[in-house]
Amino acid sequence: MSVGFIGAGQLAFALARGFTAAGVLAAHKITASSPDTDLPTVSGLRKMGVNFTVSNKDTVKSSDVLFLAVKPPIIPFILDEVGPDIEARHIVVSCAAGVTISSIEKKLSTFCPTPKVIRCMTNTPVIVREGATVYATGTHADVEDGKLLEQLMASVGFCTEVEEDLIDAVTGLSGSGPAYAFTALDALADGGVKMGLPRRLAVRLGAQALLGAAKMLLESEQHPGQLKDNVCSPGGATIHALHFLESGGFRSLLINAVEASCIRTRELQHLADQEKISPAAIKKTLLDKVKLESPSLSVASASKVSLFTNKSKKN
Amino acid sequence: RVAMEASELWVGFVGAGRMAGGLVRGLLQAGKVPASNILASAPSDKNLDAWRELGCRTTHCNLEVVHRSTLVFLATKPHILPGVLEELRPAVGPHHIVVSLVAGVTIQTLQRLLPPWTKVLRIMPNLPCVVQAGAMVFSRGSNAGDEEATLLKSLLSSCGLCEEVPESYIDIHTGLSGSGVAYVYLFAEALAEGAVKMGMPGALASRIAAQTLLGAAKMLLETGEHPAKLRGDVCTPGGTTIYALHQLEKGALRATVMDAVEAATNRACDMAKD
Repeated sequence: MSVGFIGAGQLAFALARGFTAAGVLAAHKITASSPDTDLPTVSGLRKMGVNFTVSNKDTVKSSDVLFLAVKPPIIPFILDEVGPDIEARHIVVSCAAGVTISSIEKKLSTFCPTPKVIRCMTNTPVIVREGATVYATGTHADVEDGKLLEQLMASVGFCTEVEEDLIDAVTGLSGSGPAYAFTALDALADGGVKMGLPRRLAVRLGAQALLGAAKMLLESEQHPGQLKDNVCSPGGATIHALHFLESGGFRSLLINAVEASCIRTRELQHLADQEKISPAAIKKTLLDKVKLESPSLSVASASKVSLFTNKSKKN
Repeated sequence: RVAMEASELWVGFVGAGRMAGGLVRGLLQAGKVPASNILASAPSDKNLDAWRELGCRTTHCNLEVVHRSTLVFLATKPHILPGVLEELRPAVGPHHIVVSLVAGVTIQTLQRLLPPWTKVLRIMPNLPCVVQAGAMVFSRGSNAGDEEATLLKSLLSSCGLCEEVPESYIDIHTGLSGSGVAYVYLFAEALAEGAVKMGMPGALASRIAAQTLLGAAKMLLETGEHPAKLRGDVCTPGGTTIYALHQLEKGALRATVMDAVEAATNRACDMAKD
């Protein structure tokens, strides 16, 4: 089986790294493409042994499972570009937040009558094979197609199927979740440093504390509230600290965060559905490059314009 | 030592106020001690009328209570107690079991004011003892042994939860449960007010609020599950409960309640020092 990534940014890099480390896929069976070869992740992918190309069409042709790993506003342009090359055998997996299965199927149906589409929401820790992934299958994706994706994603963490209408909530929780954790870890380390620990040690210990706690929770039948109680000896240090967290509304802040991320995802989806995202919101150079490759958007031009002549001075 | 059958026990109360009244109602409800075996003293008849209605005997003489009882509950106001104990001290014997309900008076103080060999225990009840749903903790003095502790526990379990604890927990119990009852009343009032705001008549809202608290507490006690788990069980994804809980968390309810327990406990400690 070969896997392709349209887009060679953080997500493609994380997944490619995860798959190869897990041994489910050899690097040479992975292709990634992007018009922007300056991305730092591009050299990372190359070093891994992944086939890198600037041609999205090449990626499609050489893949069975095709991940759309671009930012949500770019998705429509990508679909227009590679639509003609999508065949019935392809499993198109969109990882874009807020982009619905129906919007993808609608775009592809002009080219392919029964496109297999799966929508997934994963997160960056796939890079260390501790990702959290959910997926929902589209109209023409079979059970086996879902299982195939599940197998792939399970190699890099937890993966389960869900109803599509839950995916925005998942985005708010585990999609954005690592950012909340990084913020917490930074602050915990600050606390350690304030109380006299060297920074590196503080970071290491903070991360290990959260890792250990998460592992305990995942392996335990007990409620997190019970596990918390188990740490709090009467009148001890921990309960004093927890009181501070409660006073600061720690819990409600986290609830607010998950809610905000989920709501924003829905907003963006809504805007996208109404095609309200202005081209200005999309990095201008990227859009130009995408447009150049996209036949449906092409301005009359006799020959294909090479991307290299439009490149910036770098490299 | 004489084996103590509850039905043969002579129980006395020095002071006949609300807390003492709660305990005696519990005792009588449980049928452990006949009312005629109970004698209470108070300076005026104001409180004693209610006791007579229950079938208890009454007097205005504290010494009579001590003379005629084996188990003597001290239930006066804190500032009165030293004077009362000075009066009673000559009549207290080795057969007596003295149990103090007096807030803020330590076992050390009680033992200082009573003969050195006296069996002393200190108890902190709470108001719902009146309806046999109280929470009580007690501690032993130096001369009170297992027999006295067992007797007290078996007698008072009729009023609710009764546990022996180290004396240092007694002030915490005040903050948690003694005063805690008031926190619950406040919460119940607020719940009902919310319902009234949304259009429900007040009386109905109050009854439902109370029943809600009762039901939730009963589930906690009977299932033995962690409250966080029970809370989760009520929260359907995206449903009404989780929306409401979010509001409570925004208001830092948890921290505020912790602050309340802390404040009451600290105040109890401070008052005991006075």
